[in-house]
Amino acid sequence: MRVWFKSGLPWIWLNAAAVSASLIMVAGLLGLIAMRGLGHFWPTDIAELDYRQDDGQVIKLIGEIRDYEDVPRERLVSAGINVPEGIEIVRRYQIKSGNRDVSGLDFRWLLGPDIVERRFPPDLVVFERREWGNFYGYLKEVRENGTTVASGPQAMAALEERLQRALAIADEIRAIERGAIGSINYKLERLRLDQRHLELEGKADAQSLAKIAEQRVDLQAQYQSHQAKLAALYKDIQRDSVTVEIADGRVVELPMAKLVSVLEPNAMGVGTKLKTYATNVWKFVSEDPREANTEGGIFPAIFGTVMMVMLMSVLVTPFGVIAALYMREYATQGPITRIIRIAVNNLAGVPSIVYGVFGLGFFVYFLGGNIDRLFFPEAQPAPTFGTPGLLWSSITLALLTLPVVIVATEEGLSRIPKAIREGSLALGATKAETLWRTVLPMASPAMMTGLILAVARAAGEVAPLMLVGVVKLAPTLPLDGNAPYLHLDRKFMPLGFHIYDVGFQSPNVEAARPLVYATALLLVLVIVALNMAAISIRNHLREKFRALDN
Amino acid sequence: MEKKGIGQHISQQFNAELEDIRNRVLTMGGLVEQQIADAMTAIVEADDRMGDIVISNDYKVNAMEVALDEECNRVLARRQPTAGDLRLVVAVIKTITDLERIGDEAERIARMGQHAAESEEGRVHPVQIQHLGDQVRQMVHNALDAFARMDTELAVQVWREDLKIDQEYESIMRQLITFMMEDPRSIPRVLDIMWAARSLERIGDRARNICEYVIYLVKGKDVRHTSLEHMEAQARMDHTP
Amino acid sequence: MNAREEIMNDRSKPTHAIDPDILAQASLTRNLDEEDICLKVEDLDLYYGTKQALKKVNMRIPRQRVTAFIGPSGCGKSTLLRCFNRMNDLVDGVRIEGKMLLDDQDIYAKSVNVADLRRRIGMVFQKPNPFPKTIYENVAYGLRLQGVRSRRVLDEVVENALRGAALWDEVKDRMYDNALGLSGGQQQRLVIARAIAIEPEVLLLDEPASALDPISTLKIEELIYELKSRYTIVIVTHNMQQAARVSDYTAFMYMGDLIELGDTNTIFTNPSEKMTEDYITGRYG
Repeated sequence: MRVWFKSGLPWIWLNAAAVSASLIMVAGLLGLIAMRGLGHFWPTDIAELDYRQDDGQVIKLIGEIRDYEDVPRERLVSAGINVPEGIEIVRRYQIKSGNRDVSGLDFRWLLGPDIVERRFPPDLVVFERREWGNFYGYLKEVRENGTTVASGPQAMAALEERLQRALAIADEIRAIERGAIGSINYKLERLRLDQRHLELEGKADAQSLAKIAEQRVDLQAQYQSHQAKLAALYKDIQRDSVTVEIADGRVVELPMAKLVSVLEPNAMGVGTKLKTYATNVWKFVSEDPREANTEGGIFPAIFGTVMMVMLMSVLVTPFGVIAALYMREYATQGPITRIIRIAVNNLAGVPSIVYGVFGLGFFVYFLGGNIDRLFFPEAQPAPTFGTPGLLWSSITLALLTLPVVIVATEEGLSRIPKAIREGSLALGATKAETLWRTVLPMASPAMMTGLILAVARAAGEVAPLMLVGVVKLAPTLPLDGNAPYLHLDRKFMPLGFHIYDVGFQSPNVEAARPLVYATALLLVLVIVALNMAAISIRNHLREKFRALDN
Repeated sequence: MEKKGIGQHISQQFNAELEDIRNRVLTMGGLVEQQIADAMTAIVEADDRMGDIVISNDYKVNAMEVALDEECNRVLARRQPTAGDLRLVVAVIKTITDLERIGDEAERIARMGQHAAESEEGRVHPVQIQHLGDQVRQMVHNALDAFARMDTELAVQVWREDLKIDQEYESIMRQLITFMMEDPRSIPRVLDIMWAARSLERIGDRARNICEYVIYLVKGKDVRHTSLEHMEAQARMDHTP
Repeated sequence: MNAREEIMNDRSKPTHAIDPDILAQASLTRNLDEEDICLKVEDLDLYYGTKQALKKVNMRIPRQRVTAFIGPSGCGKSTLLRCFNRMNDLVDGVRIEGKMLLDDQDIYAKSVNVADLRRRIGMVFQKPNPFPKTIYENVAYGLRLQGVRSRRVLDEVVENALRGAALWDEVKDRMYDNALGLSGGQQQRLVIARAIAIEPEVLLLDEPASALDPISTLKIEELIYELKSRYTIVIVTHNMQQAARVSDYTAFMYMGDLIELGDTNTIFTNPSEKMTEDYITGRYG
């Protein structure tokens, strides 16, 4: 035994164990998120259940079996639930029964022993709706302006055809509302601000006012024409509807305009399901959220996160690099630089919420407020920059990640051999030329490393952003077709906050739970993607400047 | 003077090698001196046996030269000596060449002695040549002494000695010529003596060469083919290393 | 006495005696007084903080000759070399007193532009330090600094410099490869090419071959010999045999003092200072 200890093997085992534990934890974390998140998009089979209620009456239920758990009998009994004798462990099933507008309940827990029968009839249909969540039932008829055009077996084909039309019209409506009318509204707002600006400046003479009024009339006219078109489209989209028989035998009419998609998961083969799965994933990534973020996609959040991280990188890189350059190359190395360096290192350890507080106090209220006072008096009292927004978020995160970039860059600069600098200086280069032409390119991998760390930290940051920039639902993206295209003053939805919001602030927590996992997975993926991009750039640079290593 | 030309290297091995070379040169010098002495005995006393000894011992001198030469080459190749060390090795290479030639001259004198012993009328006029021989032998001894002690003053003295040797040789020549004119029958014997005298004079020249090497070794100045004044000036010049 | 006897008797003046002056002329010995002086150092003191690294150094460096600095580590030879192109300016706490003249112009005068000076006095360092760029860009670096843009001019200068550094044939087919892919010896020659591309007057070599194998070392030495006709070369070396092989003049330094500067042949056969002798023969303790 002592020999075994002396041989050093225990150490190796200990180290290997530590590494394996870490690996298992990381893999477990990712695995859990992936499993929970990715399952959400799979078109699950819909069960029709005969369920014996407490009073002994058997009812019919339709829904997805989402989850189950094994519960000891005592717990259920103590909760006042009637459980038959002789069963120690009861399996409970969670059923998503949908039809929230009709039944008022989205999820139910059913006791296994009380389920009399389970069926998976192929003609059960899932209707994904714009409001009120999913709807489950049997398709009865397709109607046009109230008259039945198809029923029975033909109804599905007619439904799909008409749904395409309705979706096309919905897209058109959306394009007009978001695009054309949004743009007109934006311009009208600008006109209002211009007028106010002129009034504030005391330059509001009749001529300029008339000009603004003329533009306004022009825009109003455009607005009217769009409104008319919209009215026609809205009328058009209301044309069709479907009737559906639900679990308790009632027949409900659903307007076609409210439907997003129609599926018959029980009738699908694996191939079709995979296709649907891919479509769902794509929708999740590319669409706007619906129903208080609990349904639909998270595209604005992805966009907001990427946008913010990119803006932050643009801000933090030059700033951090220049600071590091000064400290390493120009400043006299002495107690003062040492103190500054310690201070910078400590900054990296300051809790991020502190940065949020600072950002809110200094950037938003002080800087933003002053900017508004000086440059946007016409918008007062509504703040332009004096309110949390993309710019302040990016700057706050830039400040947060600055120490990382400075430290990494300094590290990189210090690793560049003195011989290289001397070689350049000896050829008649000035110090600035040497830095610019040789030292900086050689230190670029280190800078990229710093940036990678910064990006990874910033993308996942939530706390400071709650103070300086996020909203639950941003009406517009920070980037659009209206000049000046990039709206730094707008609020946005970062992924991290989105997770928090969906998970804890949502009215329908059960429904949103898979979305939390899916969004978390996506956040990880976005960070991985950003990191991969940065790492590949760094590796490319490293390959180019591999002098450092030998 | 101390043996400063050799000691004190960081490399003790190098010290030992140089010391070895120097000692072997002195051993070779001792042998050559002995050869001269024996050769003189052979010719003065027309001692046939002694002549044999000298002739047979010459190979030792030659062997020592070859061995030393090799040793010097080895040091040159492996140690790349510089300055004083380089001069020592170069001086040794040249010195041993001259010593070997002196050995050859001794052998020649010994042969003359044998020749004289074979002829009926031996032992004529040995006195002058005896004296010249003693002088030359002393000179070789002093030259080696100067080498051993790196004594340039002594080297200059020996060099001057050679002038006397030359004068002595001139007078012996005149004397021998007189003998030959007086008694033509003595010509063969006198010629032997003459050859021996000539060899002794050569030995003197070579001893003088060795002195020049000593000056080169110590002062770093090549004094060959220069005037006596120049040489003396160089030899006495203050030279720090 | 007749003429013959006179000659015979007066052996103090051999017939074949050679006039020592003629002898001196015929030998390979160089004399610093007859050289065109390029760099001059006058009473140079250098302090690192309070420590004196160079003590009242006086020396002359002849034009288009190779001058080697030898001496034990820390003797100040590299420090002195780096004074010539003011590389010591980069070190904190260095104080320099005395004069250093390049063509009678004070290197340390206030009016001197250091970058211009370094263009005139090139330097090659102990370890090959090519930039992590292509071979071509390495050689063109100095010219680009001077603002040369013309591709034609650059091509020509790069080729000439590489030829000058005896590297052209080895790299002409891979001019756009990374210079770090070259061997150590090639890298060092590349660095020399880089230095001569900007046509300096003086080339300072700080132990240029100490990191190279013997064959590469010989190539560098051969190159130094060829470059001598165009540049004044000052080389610092730890390797005494190298100094002996490549240099025309050798300076021996010890503890910040210039002990001896003279013709290399003389230094290595018959130095006039005991310290020099002790150092070059390996007696220095």
